Parts: sequence; C-alpha cells; structure tokens
Amino acid sequence: MAISTTLRRTLRAGLAAMVCAGLPLAGAGAQTKTPIKIGFIVPTTGGFAPSGEECVTGAKMYLESIHYEVAGRKIELIVEDSQGKPDVGLTKAQKLVERDGAQMIMGIVSSAVALAINDYARDKKVPFIITCDAGANELTMPGPLANPYLVRTSQNGRTPSAAAADFMVKKGWKNIAVLASDYAGGFDTIGGFADALCRLGGKVTQEQYPPLNTTDFGPYATNLDRKADAVAMFLPGGGGLRFIKQFVELGLKDKLPVMDIYAQSVYEPFLPQLGDSAIGIYSTLHYASPIKSPMNDAFVKAYFARVKHQPSDNAPDGWVGAKAFGDAAAAVGGNVENAPKFIEALKAVKFDSPKGPIALDKYGQVIQSMYVRQTEKAGDGYVNSVVATYPNIDQFWPLTFEQYESYKYRYAELKGSLTDCAKVLEKK
Amino acid sequence: MIWVIHTLNGVSLGMLLFLLAAGLSLIYGLMKILNLTHGSYYLLGAYIGSTVIQTTGSWALALVVAPLIVAALGAVMERFFLRRFHLDELPQTLLTFGFLFIIGDVCLWIWGGDPILLPKPALFAKSIDLGGLSYPEYRLALIAAGLAVAAALWWFQERTRIGAMLRAGVDDAETARAMGIDVSLLFTLVFAVGAFLAALGGVLGGPIIGASPGADFDVMLLAFVVVIVGGLGSLRGALVGGLLIGLLDNFGKIFFPEFALFTIFVPMAVILSFRPTGLFGRA
Repeated sequence: MAISTTLRRTLRAGLAAMVCAGLPLAGAGAQTKTPIKIGFIVPTTGGFAPSGEECVTGAKMYLESIHYEVAGRKIELIVEDSQGKPDVGLTKAQKLVERDGAQMIMGIVSSAVALAINDYARDKKVPFIITCDAGANELTMPGPLANPYLVRTSQNGRTPSAAAADFMVKKGWKNIAVLASDYAGGFDTIGGFADALCRLGGKVTQEQYPPLNTTDFGPYATNLDRKADAVAMFLPGGGGLRFIKQFVELGLKDKLPVMDIYAQSVYEPFLPQLGDSAIGIYSTLHYASPIKSPMNDAFVKAYFARVKHQPSDNAPDGWVGAKAFGDAAAAVGGNVENAPKFIEALKAVKFDSPKGPIALDKYGQVIQSMYVRQTEKAGDGYVNSVVATYPNIDQFWPLTFEQYESYKYRYAELKGSLTDCAKVLEKK
Repeated sequence: MIWVIHTLNGVSLGMLLFLLAAGLSLIYGLMKILNLTHGSYYLLGAYIGSTVIQTTGSWALALVVAPLIVAALGAVMERFFLRRFHLDELPQTLLTFGFLFIIGDVCLWIWGGDPILLPKPALFAKSIDLGGLSYPEYRLALIAAGLAVAAALWWFQERTRIGAMLRAGVDDAETARAMGIDVSLLFTLVFAVGAFLAALGGVLGGPIIGASPGADFDVMLLAFVVVIVGGLGSLRGALVGGLLIGLLDNFGKIFFPEFALFTIFVPMAVILSFRPTGLFGRA
C-alpha cells in the first residue's frame, strides 16, 4: 500500500537522521528491550461505540505501518472499553497503568471520561494523549484543568463552533436557533458558537438543550424558531440522527438551513440511514473524507478496504494520535518512561496527515485545518464535500489566549443566556 | 396551529409509552414481578424488525414477526427461569436484571453499536398539511395504532374468558387456582403478551426512537415512570399514564427547556405524594 511505504520511508529517514546525529538510541538501557505499552481507552459498547472503534482502527493502521515497533522497542496496544462512562474509564486507566504497566493513556472520545482520567494522569505523571474527540476546551488551556502530561491531537469544542459561526455570518445568516445536548460538551460547543456569532454581529434567537438520552426529538423540532435564518446544532451519540429525521418530516428543511457543528448528525456511518434527509446539511469538522491529497486518498482507500464505509474524523484522528506518539517516541529514542521529555517531544511533532498539516501548540492542543462541509449525493451513497477551509487554526482562533481570557463568563456558564449577546461578550 | 402539533407530538409519544407500559403493568399485576427486561423486549423488537425489513422489504411482516419472536422469548423466560422464584421478589428482579445485560450484549454482538432508525412504512411515509404546517402521517398512524391496541386489550380483558381468568388471577391468585383456573398457563401467557406489546412498541417506535445500545435502559425507565404514575397492574392506568407523561414531557420541554431532565420525574414525584399507588392503582 502506498501509504505504508511512504511512512516506512519517512520513518527510516527519521531513524537514520537520529543515528547520524548521535542520539542515544540504545541509551535507555534495559528499558529498550521491554515493549512500550499503550493503554487505549475508548467506548466499544454504548452509543459512542462506533466512534471508539473507528479511533482504534485508525491507530492500528498507523502502528501496523511501523510494524508495531519504534526505536527498537515493540509496541503493545491494549484496548479497554470505557462504555463512555467516567467511572468506568477511570477504573480502566488505573488498571492499565498499575496492573498492565502501560506507559501512557490514549484514545478517549467522551469529554466526561477525559475529565475523569485527567486528574489521575496528572497525579501519576502518566502521558495522556487524547486521540479522539473529547473536546472539552479547558483541558488544554491554562487553568484548573491544565495538565502538563496532556496533549490532544483530536479537536477541541470551540474551534468547529467558531468556524461554523464565521461561515454562517458570511452566508448572511445572523439570527440562529441553536440546539445542544444537555451536558458539559454541549455547553462548551454551543457557548463557543454564541460567542463567535455575537462578535460577528449575529444573535442566537432560541436555545434548546435536549438531554443526552432524549428518545423523541419531535417536540424540539416542532418548537424550533421558524423565524430564524438558520439552525446550528450539536447533538452527539445518535441524537442528531433522530433530530434530523423529525426536522425533515416536519417540513422544516426547506425553510431553515442546518449547520451541524462537529458533524455529529451527518456523521459518516449515519449517512446511509439519513439518506436524502442529509443532503444540503452543512457541518464543520477538522476532517472530510473527500479532502484531496495523495495521503488522504490512500488513507480513505485503505480504511474503506478494512471496514467498508467512509471514515469520519475518528479514524484519521486515531491515525494522527498514533503517529504523534510514534514520532515522539522515536525522538526520545524509545525512552517514553521519561514522561517530561516524551511530552516535550510530543509537543514538538510536525507532520502531514490525512487531515492536513499537524502541529501542536505550547499547551498541547493540536493546530490543524477546519473544514466546512456539505452533504451531497455521490453515486450510490452520500459524502460530505468541502465547501470552505480554515487552514491551520489553533484552539483560540480567531482570538488570542489573552482575548479569550478577557471575557467574564466561561462558555458553560452561559447556558440559558445565549440569546443575550451583551452578557455573552461581557468583559471581566 | 403549532399547539395542535405539539399536542399531537405528545399524544403519539404517549401511545408509544402505553404500548411499553401495558405489558409491564400486566405482568406486575398478575405475578408481582418487576420485569427489568422489559426495555430489552423493546430493543429486540426494534432490531429484529429492522432486520426483517432489510431482508424482506416488508414492514407489515416486521410488525408481526418481531413481536412473535420476542413473545416466545418472554414465554421461555417465564417458564424456565422466573417460575422457580414465584413471589420471591428479590431473586426475580435480579434475574430480570441479568437478562437485561445478557440481551443487551447479544444485541450489541449481532447488530453492532451504531444507532439505527427503522424506515417508515411507505404507506405513512409522507407528511400532511395542517393549517400551513406539515406533520408526519406516521405519528398520526401511531396514535391510531395505540388506540387500536388499547381497544383490543380492553376487549381481551373484559370480554373474553381468558381475560376474566386474568382479572381473577390479579385479584386473588390462590382463590383463582382453587376455582380450577390454570394460573400457571396464565402466567406464561401474560408474560408472552407483555413481551409482545413491548416488541410491537419497538417496531412502531423504531422510526422515531430507534434502537441503540442503552436504549433498553432509557425505554425501561420511561415505562416504569408511566406504570408508577398510572398505577401498577392497571391497563387503564398505563393508557392514562402514558398519555399524561407523553404530554407532560412534550410541553415540559417547550416551557422549561432548561429542565428537560426533570419534566418527567417531577410530575411523577408530585403524583406519588398525593396518590402513592398511582392514579389507578389499588393499595
């Protein structure tokens, strides 16, 4: 396969460079002989199971391309199921680190699980690489959650929101009805959207927060503000799928354009079920399977051959997380036990990926491109085609950290007040 | 006009809740079993229904086949497992709890973790015009189906011989047995009917609620709330409770959008504080 040869070549070149530079490849002593164990925690059961499985597949695709070996050490991938529950995730993290001897935790998907493991990883000084989803903003921002042993190569919650607001205002849609699931990730995402929208002169006209286990979305779709210019939503875990169906049945699709922030409804595995209902829906995400690049073409082909559907963001995220690990492990000569050095190497990685160019900021958050996509019919199936790109943007885009910090309210505190732009934009 | 639609939304959800709660209520009324597997019957109904629709293309067939298979499962559960612990509530409840996990895992193994929505029957796939607003025909059909099931159950309970035996069994199983009623057969039958109704709810609710790992818990919780509000053991309670919860949930979400998590449980607590046995339950 084209992709693995490229990678192997890159890796070989990298190793050669290190040897030439006289880096102590065998310097880590006895440790170099023992395998590197990656504790990979994702939900493989429950509503988020498809995301978890994609994430693992993506990571495996990269690790296979380096034959599960880096700097002379074998790599062992130990996958554990968090069921998407924080308590289960934390128990699995403890088991992986304390019993299996895993040197790092990867994977994740759910923000709640990430928050539960974050404290543990910080206390134990265990490198924690959030590989998939888990976009809670403050994990990678200075503040109470900041963890020097954390990096995130997936995506935070507010950047897709900021891009969505920018795109919608450019389209001339300024009065927006919003829906977000009733949990921390939902508040972060939709708060970030309201913040960006208000700064651009738009306004949230209505906010609705369906609980995560909402069974019937009929009331929410019926209740939508029909005078709004458009709808922006964030309903993960199958909720978006049910909502869109009701929305279409109520005849609202011709009246209200939809922006699916973070693409939780027009999630690639759902597209066959949504069918024509999905056509025309906009979404923002840090990936789209039709991205034109040799690397992505090869990735999509290889992924499709494995699982017979288009990848969503989770597969390339898994791949990128595994490559970030691989590159950093190679850079420290396989000595991942030296956690501070390993994290330093992680923050320094820079490479090209199916998602586009990847780099990390000093807080450990990935800097990558954001794509606005629109669902189209393509042959027998459906695909999210790129209609706009925001290249190489960081977690505070379009603000700086200082500007971001100057606001009085955190996004989560704005639940229920998003329609009030004065409050949303109030300074400290 | 929008309020008509809101009301229809609430009533259609209420009918679905009735289907789910009716079996639970019947089973408790006769056997005093708190059947925690009830949500799994829903889930199995929806999954099997989707498989039948996918392989045969026939919605009507799914509506018959899925509930029958699940009813058979219910009968087996009662005959070979729950029977051993007759009137012994703790082991029975734990046993049904175990089945909940087993069935959940088997579903995950067979159908995977992706949430699915069932397609709608072609006959009711369109939307109709309601004073300038469109409304899905399927929800109207759902209301009709719920009413039809309610009527059939009422007829079964009030007008048939088995129904009379059932009522006798609910009132006093000992005496019913002494009068020569085969209570044992009745138990199996009621369990099968309960499972049948929940699976029917699974196929009918499939296009709206869908099936996914965890849906069994969510549905079970709703069914329990309905049964508690309506009164354990009462079919009328299941119908009124279902409609009440469906409407309260619907309007609660609209008037108190920030408290959507509580719109079902607050009314339940209020009703329980005034009528501890539920609206139609007997002490």
